[in-house]
Amino acid sequence: MAQQDKTVQSAATKPGAAVHEDTTAKWFIISAVVYFLIVGIIAIVIAAKFVWPEMLGTVAMLSYGRLRPLHVNGMLFGWLLAADMGLTFYLVPRLCGVKLWSEKLGVATALLWNVIILGAVVSLLMGWNQGWEYAELPMPLDVLVVVAWIMFGINIFGTIATRKYQQMYVSLWYTMGTILWTAFVYLTGNFATLFTTGVNQANLNWMYVHNAVGLIFTPVGLALAYYFIPKAGNIPLYSHKLSMIGFWSLAFFYVWTGAHHMLHGPISQWLQTISIAFSLMLIMPVWSVVYNLFATMKGNWPRTRDNVPLKFLMSGVVFYLLTCFQGPMHSLRSVNAIVSKTDWIPGHAHMAVLGAFSFFAIAGTLYVIPRMFNVALHSDALANWSYWLFMVGGIGFFVTLWLGGFWQGWQWNNPSIPFIDTVKALKPIWIVRFFSGIFMFAGIVAFLYNIIATVVDSAGAKPEVQGA
Amino acid sequence: MDYTYPSVFFSYFLFFFFLAGGVFFFIRSIRDGYLGKNSEEAKYRMLEDEES
Repeated sequence: MAQQDKTVQSAATKPGAAVHEDTTAKWFIISAVVYFLIVGIIAIVIAAKFVWPEMLGTVAMLSYGRLRPLHVNGMLFGWLLAADMGLTFYLVPRLCGVKLWSEKLGVATALLWNVIILGAVVSLLMGWNQGWEYAELPMPLDVLVVVAWIMFGINIFGTIATRKYQQMYVSLWYTMGTILWTAFVYLTGNFATLFTTGVNQANLNWMYVHNAVGLIFTPVGLALAYYFIPKAGNIPLYSHKLSMIGFWSLAFFYVWTGAHHMLHGPISQWLQTISIAFSLMLIMPVWSVVYNLFATMKGNWPRTRDNVPLKFLMSGVVFYLLTCFQGPMHSLRSVNAIVSKTDWIPGHAHMAVLGAFSFFAIAGTLYVIPRMFNVALHSDALANWSYWLFMVGGIGFFVTLWLGGFWQGWQWNNPSIPFIDTVKALKPIWIVRFFSGIFMFAGIVAFLYNIIATVVDSAGAKPEVQGA
Repeated sequence: MDYTYPSVFFSYFLFFFFLAGGVFFFIRSIRDGYLGKNSEEAKYRMLEDEES
């Protein structure tokens, strides 16, 4: 707590500095944290359904087919992207040295985003579903997402256009990349697919699915990591030049990799080979990021002991390295023949979206909430507990699904084993998955309580802390 | 209607659009000093940005 007070006090207003309202950032982040809890409950329910398939009976709304898209869309758009947008609204004005272009537009964007998420909950539970992976939302909500994204883009680009400094820090580049690439990726996945059929449609859909992670959550996640690691540790980045090389190489390589989801499928061999080649070349942007952030921490690792945001951030970097090593390996034809469509894949996807990018967003939230509300974090100990609950639950989840997935893949490659036997064989794996989920959910509860308690504490904060 | 040819031409257009954008921003980044001797300025400035 004492250390948190010091960090809050070091954030004193400098003479002539822009005073940031942060209303938009607060709206986005608080609502994202609440959705994290709600969608976490859905996650526990669907993990339980793997173990007890009869649970909740035959109520259509509570069936696996309705709850699974709600979990995926809720975590991706309700929690992670909303938190990322809120943190972007925090860091962009500060990196530009000016106020946000329009707080009113920002708050309107946050309200619209909440309408979209609530609409998604209703429509997906009702079974109004487009039937495409990650693009399940019905068309009216897709249109609203595009409108909200344009509003977000205008505000962020408007702020960057009025910046004080010509040379932009790498987080601003990643933020701008996210806005442009998301527009392209989202339009492809949700609208361009309407004009195609068969294999072409599947190819576009997988391009969208892969790049939803690679060109939406990766760049915005790296924008956060590049901002919050130096800030939380008070350490300058190792190399800004290297970070720019990483940005441009990601821009070039990532978009070509989606077809590796269709290896051994009916798409052209040359397209499969291109996707494999570009997947392997991803090692360049990934290693440039990981090397840069590890080199930043050289000699400073002891700081992670008492600094929970830094602990989340550096664990996220390790998970980012691991997930980005797995990804290119999956794209090799021989490995893909075993792991594709098995439980390995959710193990991999959860390490990317939870282990790397959600860890960055959680760290950012723990860092900015005390600063935005001018109060110390409610409990450093509770933040530390949430870290370990996420870590234990996460590792249990990832490792179990990798092992189970490999096992499943080998069984599927043996035509003498009846399919139903391969399903029954995975029950022990799904039991561990469920209990790992309980740990992660406890981490969410601890995190949410800490954030809400901090906001409540701010109402009765001491004047000297408020002035800090 | 067969959308194969429009989609192929669109892909060619998109590829050259991104290539042109990449070349433009690469040249622009050299001009703006991202790869020169002042390329590390931004990382020190961000540590002192306004926190209020």
